[in-house]
Amino acid sequence: MKLLNCPVNGVRPLSEFIFGGECREMPNPETSTDLEWASYVHYRDNAPGIKKEWWYHSPSGTWFIAERNTLSDEVLSTYLHGKAPAKNTKEQSA
Amino acid sequence: MTELIKTSPVIGAQKKMNPIMGVHQGMEVALSFVDQKIEKKHQAILGVTDVSCFARFAIKGAKAAEWLEKQGIKTPEVVNAWLEGAPGTMVLRLGNTEFLVEDQATGNACTKLHAFDQSNTQDAYQVARADAAFILSGSEVLNLLSELCVLDLRDAALLNNALVMTQIAGISATLVRESLAGEQVYRIWCDSTYGAYMWEILIEIAQELGGGAVGLTCRFQ
Amino acid sequence: MSMRLPKQVGEWIKRDKEIHFTFEGQEYKGYEGDTITSALLAAGVKVLGRSFKYHRPRGVLSLANHDINALVTDGMDTNIRADVVTLSNGMQLKAVNTDGGVIKDKSKYIDSISPLLPVGFYYKAFHKPASLFPFWEKVIRKAAGLGIVNFNYPRINKRKLNAFCDVLVIGAGPSGLSAAISAAENGLEVILVDENQQLGGSLTYDYAGEEAAQKVLSDLVKRVSASSNIKVYAGAYAAGYYQDHMVPVVAADGITKVRAKAVIAATGAFEQPPVFHNNDLPGVMLGSAAQRMMHRYGVKPFKTGLVFTANAHGYRVALDLLKAGVNVSAIVDLRAEGQQDTQAIELANKGVKIHTGYCVYEALPFKGKLGVAGALICPYDEATATADVKQAVKLDCDGIAMSAGWAPAGALLYQSGMGVVYNNDIQQFVPNRLPKGVFAAGRVNGAFALEARVSDGLRAAAEVANLLGKSVKAQSVMPHQGTSPSHPYPFVHHPKGKNFVDFDEDIQIKDFINAAKEGFDNIELMKRFTTVGMGPSQGKHSNMNAIRILAKIRNLPVEKIGSTTARPFFHPTPMGHLGGRSFHAHRLTTIHAWHQAAGAAFVDVGAWSRPAYYQKAGLSKVEIVQQESLAVRKAVGMIDSSTLGKVEVCGPDAAEFLERFYTGVYRDQKVGRSRYVMLLDELGVMVDDGIATRIGQEKFFVTISTANAPAVYREMQRWLQVWKLNATLINVTSAYGVINVAGPKAYQVLSKLVTIDLSEDALPMGRSTEAEISGVPVRIVRAAFVAKEAYEVYMPSGYALNIWKLLLEAGKNEGICPFGTDTQRLLRLELGHPLPGVDTDGLTNPFEMRAEKALEMDKAFFIGKRSLEIIAKKPLNKALVPFVLPADYKGELPQDCNLVIESGAIKGRVTSVAFSPSAGRVIGLAYVAMHQAQLGNIFEIRTDNGKIAKATVVHAPFFNAE
Repeated sequence: MKLLNCPVNGVRPLSEFIFGGECREMPNPETSTDLEWASYVHYRDNAPGIKKEWWYHSPSGTWFIAERNTLSDEVLSTYLHGKAPAKNTKEQSA
Repeated sequence: MTELIKTSPVIGAQKKMNPIMGVHQGMEVALSFVDQKIEKKHQAILGVTDVSCFARFAIKGAKAAEWLEKQGIKTPEVVNAWLEGAPGTMVLRLGNTEFLVEDQATGNACTKLHAFDQSNTQDAYQVARADAAFILSGSEVLNLLSELCVLDLRDAALLNNALVMTQIAGISATLVRESLAGEQVYRIWCDSTYGAYMWEILIEIAQELGGGAVGLTCRFQ
Repeated sequence: MSMRLPKQVGEWIKRDKEIHFTFEGQEYKGYEGDTITSALLAAGVKVLGRSFKYHRPRGVLSLANHDINALVTDGMDTNIRADVVTLSNGMQLKAVNTDGGVIKDKSKYIDSISPLLPVGFYYKAFHKPASLFPFWEKVIRKAAGLGIVNFNYPRINKRKLNAFCDVLVIGAGPSGLSAAISAAENGLEVILVDENQQLGGSLTYDYAGEEAAQKVLSDLVKRVSASSNIKVYAGAYAAGYYQDHMVPVVAADGITKVRAKAVIAATGAFEQPPVFHNNDLPGVMLGSAAQRMMHRYGVKPFKTGLVFTANAHGYRVALDLLKAGVNVSAIVDLRAEGQQDTQAIELANKGVKIHTGYCVYEALPFKGKLGVAGALICPYDEATATADVKQAVKLDCDGIAMSAGWAPAGALLYQSGMGVVYNNDIQQFVPNRLPKGVFAAGRVNGAFALEARVSDGLRAAAEVANLLGKSVKAQSVMPHQGTSPSHPYPFVHHPKGKNFVDFDEDIQIKDFINAAKEGFDNIELMKRFTTVGMGPSQGKHSNMNAIRILAKIRNLPVEKIGSTTARPFFHPTPMGHLGGRSFHAHRLTTIHAWHQAAGAAFVDVGAWSRPAYYQKAGLSKVEIVQQESLAVRKAVGMIDSSTLGKVEVCGPDAAEFLERFYTGVYRDQKVGRSRYVMLLDELGVMVDDGIATRIGQEKFFVTISTANAPAVYREMQRWLQVWKLNATLINVTSAYGVINVAGPKAYQVLSKLVTIDLSEDALPMGRSTEAEISGVPVRIVRAAFVAKEAYEVYMPSGYALNIWKLLLEAGKNEGICPFGTDTQRLLRLELGHPLPGVDTDGLTNPFEMRAEKALEMDKAFFIGKRSLEIIAKKPLNKALVPFVLPADYKGELPQDCNLVIESGAIKGRVTSVAFSPSAGRVIGLAYVAMHQAQLGNIFEIRTDNGKIAKATVVHAPFFNAE
């Protein structure tokens, strides 16, 4: 079973987590056209690559973001929403 | 002035074992099973005690720690830790801004905390809780936990005063290790509505491994 | 006649402990430590089973669970691996897959009609006419099958445990043992797993007579047992590799899921059979099998045998046979150059005739193919893989030992994502790319010489130590020297076939050729068409040979063919092991025990177990539900609604949070008032609804429907994080019990327990109040989900049971009636309330539910609002309407999901329907086309029996509808 690092609770087996879908920026509902909004709610870019995903650590109720390479299923980093670590650190590129 | 008593969330499952029931901390709970000699033996091998009746007070919010300190309760400085915040009282830090205070057999901090009116307190909100809570003791505890929990709980991995929120028997639970009357025991808290399920699983495995239920009387005499 | 040898050095049996058992009705005895097969072989039994497809007699092949020739049944248990399962007293064994015993099997005729059953036969023969397939399926299943499953098998609890270590070493041969010892010496915690009952791997049979090798083995084993850092699981197999180094280890009493920081696979290699006519006769066995028999169990494999080989191993086997007193009539070496080492010389000196550049063309059967009568050998041209039959010579023998090559036991490494390269020096796939933390050592890594295997183990251990933060000197390993341990093409074609590649599935060389001719010439396709490697041994003795054959057919190097990955589990594993203990996590309310005692029939709602209704003797479920509902309509009922999701939203932004999360307005809501909340998703689809009660200026108490509560609470947490509002969410679902007291006499009953005024004037619909029942603080909310005169009473859940009992007592004279969720569903239907998930589906928007009044489209934002704006521009094409059937309707009761039909076309569907005793007729909710939705319109529902029921659109609530 895969392990995932909850930014609050540490490394845990995947069974403690619930997947929350891709984390995408919502277009401004006031200014977006119908078409833009419809693409936001209906379309998902499933091309493999590095994706930002929502994950929920169930026992502690913690939502966080995992950056995952969906091609290699490698999790590059995890952090609380809005608290992304600075990029280009050594760990990130590893 | 409360006339009614509470019932332990585990009561339905416990009553099947014909225990002697009694009231502790305003809650009807199993005081003893079978007989003390056997319970003592179970306690040494794998004893399971329902301590859902322990008084609790929980608080959540940005200023929760500050509020507790103001009432004279010490709080752990880091998340996923616990300490004895007042004599006989455990203080568990369940998250960045959430705390659970629990009086053990001898503590009495919660009564005082409940008495405070904190309706006007900003950023610290009292949390109504209902926990099923258990003490596990004996030589076979890690054997039992290795079946119910996917985490490495060996001595080296679970530090003293560490608190883990994980899944036990497939449900969310909080686990700590503590020393109780010189004995190393494990504490489990879970949502009260899963209490009966948890009790039944713990007892089933405990009995397979030569242990069983231990009543409050035996545990704290 | 006994084939037992005198006591052997290092044997696994205890000769002073006899064990008695029966096989096929005959009594036998063996020793403690024997496997079923070894005890039978010792007793001279050669035929142990019948093959899967052709019912050919089979004996021992690998004696290592790499084939399933010997599968037996013992009472309840079936498909027991006789080769590796330890013998125990009182076993009553029978071979599986026979009709009338393993010797007289009535299905043996199938072997003679095998030309009628070519590869792919089933796929081609039975796909049409489809109507006959059930007939053929029965015939085929009866003919081709293994043990018969006993459906009365008791549940035997096999625990599934978790274990942790720094390094998991799989395989306790020379490389695994050295790796484990070295890792432990470097301060790492090691788990060492081996499927055999004793440590040592191939050293317990190969090299067994050699003093130097024996010393290596006993030294390694001693050091392992002396190390406190090594935990040994013997008689347990590593069943698969899962992400982040998790490996389930299967033992007789259960599975241990080992999570390691690094894994060393020292899994060794499977010996592969050379393929020739009748290579499956009992008495024809792998060289390693013969060695296992002699050295582990002290059993002589045969009396006069020949060794068919293509590597150095065969020569060692021949020497072992000689030592055991077997008359070795010849060594038949496929290779023209043969073997030029001391062992070859020793054999020649002992008078063993060595035929180099020869093959066994066929094994000659004796009567009934129950054994070997001799062998036909002839010169063999390696370049063309042809035998010169004209020069065939017959040799007498009663057994053949085969040693032509190995396949790496790489299943777990493949599962971990290993990349391989084909090493021509050893004719074997070896790893050239391994994931971080995964290591290979020993024969699976291409190290064959004993010293090389030991040093490869040390090398892997050093790499692991360095990975895990130790600083250890790197170790090097000598590349392979001498002849190749595997022959690139050990196949002898024969016009009569019956040269088996896969013994599980009875697959011969020609089956591959035919499959390729049909176009299945890719290894994955070929595997599925021929079923090679799909039997219980999962290609352990056949996969490599299949690759070699396909390479030859396609005239490609083996490397270009690739390999299939054997998926977990490594060996077939009993279902009971996989099941483990059953965990059925379920939630119960505090009142559950009372419900049970009162005879509740329970239903699962999410994780909860809830009373559906309370059973009464002599009454049907429908009758009870109607009675319970009438009690609510005429007097008073109560239901345990503690399962409702409950969340407190606190803080300065609490109202703002609700405004964004739900569709309505909460900013101006007064303390002590309740409002309906509706949750949409971003698509504007209806997700959930409930009630929000403002219990303080900065505090709301929100309910969520039972089944949706966990998911909705998670969404609340997520959005709060995204919106960064100053609010705190507290999930109080379990902290509060809820009892809903409903009916015209609810006021009367509840008023007996509280001091405050509950009258319609003081507490109208949509109001809430704090109160006390026997000193316990409770909150009472007027909500009209099941009846207009209804009170939801919230109390700390510890008191719920005792307050429930107080209410029962208080309502005695009023005839208070507990009711369950089935009744609740009827009651809310009578009021016309749609239920999310019942009357809505994953596409339903609030316009279709005619719930516009729950939407505050003037707000700046709520989840789903933007989508609703787009939806609102388009014409609606369906609407949810309440309907009734005529009071005198006598037809079949429509069901949920019955279709609304107009002129033969589907216009909608029924979502809820029931007979309402209060309305005196069948009532329901249905989606209909817009032109059918107006009040009074009559539409048609097609019931299950195909008849049409005419329904009329009405107003809800139904029981006032008349």
